[in-house]
Amino acid sequence: MPRLLATGLLALVAVAIATPSLARPISYAGGHMLMLEHEPDVDRFSYAYSPSFRWSVSAGGVRASDLARSSELELGYVRASRLLHRWNLPAAQANAFAWGGLGQGRTALGNGLARHAGLQFDYETRRVYTSLVSELHEGDGWSHRFDTAAIGWAPYAHDIDRVATWIVLKGMRTTNAIDDDMKPAAVLRFFTTRWWLEVGADADGRPLANVMINL
Amino acid sequence: MNRSMFSLATVALALGATVAASTLDARSLRIEVNGLVCAFCADGITRAFKKDAATAEVFVSLENKLVAVGLKDGQDIADATATKLLTDAGYTVVGIQRTDATVAAIKAEVAGE
Repeated sequence: MPRLLATGLLALVAVAIATPSLARPISYAGGHMLMLEHEPDVDRFSYAYSPSFRWSVSAGGVRASDLARSSELELGYVRASRLLHRWNLPAAQANAFAWGGLGQGRTALGNGLARHAGLQFDYETRRVYTSLVSELHEGDGWSHRFDTAAIGWAPYAHDIDRVATWIVLKGMRTTNAIDDDMKPAAVLRFFTTRWWLEVGADADGRPLANVMINL
Repeated sequence: MNRSMFSLATVALALGATVAASTLDARSLRIEVNGLVCAFCADGITRAFKKDAATAEVFVSLENKLVAVGLKDGQDIADATATKLLTDAGYTVVGIQRTDATVAAIKAEVAGE
């Protein structure tokens, strides 16, 4: 296989499976959550069910293409997520999550099994949000690690009856055999009790959008 | 029974009746909760309490760290049950009070603070 094609597809995989919105991977007990996301060259969806606030199962898919649309990647996966610990404070909450999953990828390189595992730590008040996420994806002959840091600020403290508004800055580092790259992005985040919307752009000015709905 | 014992018994019965009446007459639970910082996540609280047959309505205030549960006439939710509902929703209960205030009154009270 041509080296350039293999390199490009590896990069495509990296983009496709990059950590998305940094929202929590687990909903409330009995909750169903639908997520749809668009980034430059990547579209994702997932559906998660949380039997309890401590764990969830989800299934999702990713479709990615490079800028010239000369190659495409499609991934499907199933995942289990677990809340390792939660700290409920009078005016804050902190969480530690872990997850792992298996998927099937279809690329020009062929079809193959992919596996992933990740950790997330977050801390938030009604005005400040911070999170750190680290995720490792592996397949036959390839491996990618993503480390993402996010910090958000709310211009006003929301409550149940108001739309929450946040400004979130993200920095994501991608590490694999061919690349070690840092990408910043900025989004506006809005949410209520039932829906969540993010819109923004990456450092190149390309649009990002993410929607989540509690069903 | 002599007069003092009769008086004591009467007072005890009256106190017992008052306590029982207060419990049965409680219109709402006022629950202080830790970890209430996100509306998207707190939707589970309302859904959890609405599954209880004694719940008439639920009010959540992130600012006041408060969950107020309006009770149907003559019905109650035990402290242990309310605590379990909130714990199973992923939150920590600090304290539970019973009040004869309605949820609407509690809403007005926190809005006026």
